[in-house]
Amino acid sequence: MSDADANTPLAASAPRFAAALGALPHCISQSPDGPVIEVELANLHAVLRALRDGAGFELCSFVTCIDHYPTTPRFALHHQLLSLAHNDRVRVRCVLPGESAPTCTDLWPGANYMERECFDMFGVRFGGHPDLRRLLMPDGYDHHPLRKEFPHQGIEPDRLYRQWDRARRASWTDDAR
Amino acid sequence: MGSLKPVGPESNAVQGSSFLATRADFLINWGRKNSLWPMPLGLSCCGIELMGLLGPKFDLARFGAEAARFTPRQCDLLIVAGTLTWKMAQAARTIYDQMPDPKWVIAMGVCSSSGGMYDSYSVVQGIDSIMPVDLYVPGCPPRPDAVIDAVLKLQKKIEREDPLARLVGPATAPRAEEGTGQLVFQPNRGLPKGAWDKHAHDPKSRLPLGDPLPRKTEIKP
Repeated sequence: MSDADANTPLAASAPRFAAALGALPHCISQSPDGPVIEVELANLHAVLRALRDGAGFELCSFVTCIDHYPTTPRFALHHQLLSLAHNDRVRVRCVLPGESAPTCTDLWPGANYMERECFDMFGVRFGGHPDLRRLLMPDGYDHHPLRKEFPHQGIEPDRLYRQWDRARRASWTDDAR
Repeated sequence: MGSLKPVGPESNAVQGSSFLATRADFLINWGRKNSLWPMPLGLSCCGIELMGLLGPKFDLARFGAEAARFTPRQCDLLIVAGTLTWKMAQAARTIYDQMPDPKWVIAMGVCSSSGGMYDSYSVVQGIDSIMPVDLYVPGCPPRPDAVIDAVLKLQKKIEREDPLARLVGPATAPRAEEGTGQLVFQPNRGLPKGAWDKHAHDPKSRLPLGDPLPRKTEIKP
């Protein structure tokens, strides 16, 4: 399947998007890898729900974030949606004014881990998420490593381990050893 | 030097009254080194080479270390094969702690030895920062031959240990798990040592000049 097959031309799918979104303010454009719908944060959840219920996007491929540091606002949230029935893909882009966004786990339960990863790597708080814990880094880690200002060699990478190790050694008794 | 050759007037007898005279630490080390039970901690691609090592082609059973168990409580050789992340580090240290003494650690591959190419916030830059390591095996991943070589070198290292020191020695003898890279190392006075001594990464194997223990070192290129 080539890229042209994978993505329905915008002209073909734009009427369905417009019908599904109705009066919700949005901006549709065509990017090299498919149509992009830009929305405001206040309309994000409603747009996602409308695309799922009205345009047949029953699958959320991924949820991720882009850090545009040092531009402010720096974070842009991307939801990539897939319609199996229409063989159609669309990306919903939302620039976050802050570091919080509404969750879409109520629409697609599979977005749970992707939002957790997004929180882990970028520090985006998803309001309403059922279990917003870190996914990849250890619990209690202080930083969000995919932020642009984070040095890739890390900040005190072993601090958590040292804390854990001290607690472990303190829990030992002479009998246990 | 220890020996397992029977001695005595009837030493040539197949059965009967022959007896065995040897040193206790030699006998203990002889038993330990030839029945290593590896705990395979395959963390990434090095684990694939480790499977080949334990398989029939490379056959670690030739050196008595084929009984891989997946519970650390039955093992005495921890082979850390692959990239150790900080999230996994706590589990790896717990596995090390659960292994009964005596225990040895082989860092297989450059990732576990030094972090390798992952100079990253999430990767432990060498497992010797969280547990003592006996042998480092370079390679990305190392061939199973290299790990066999490491096991043989570890056997040589075990030969030089002093297992009775923990039993009859002073109570202040340092324990293996007390530090990082601070393995208790007792060179055996009698055993001849080869060029592999120069490659042991244990800092205590690099004794200063004027060593009170004369080391019969023969180094051949």
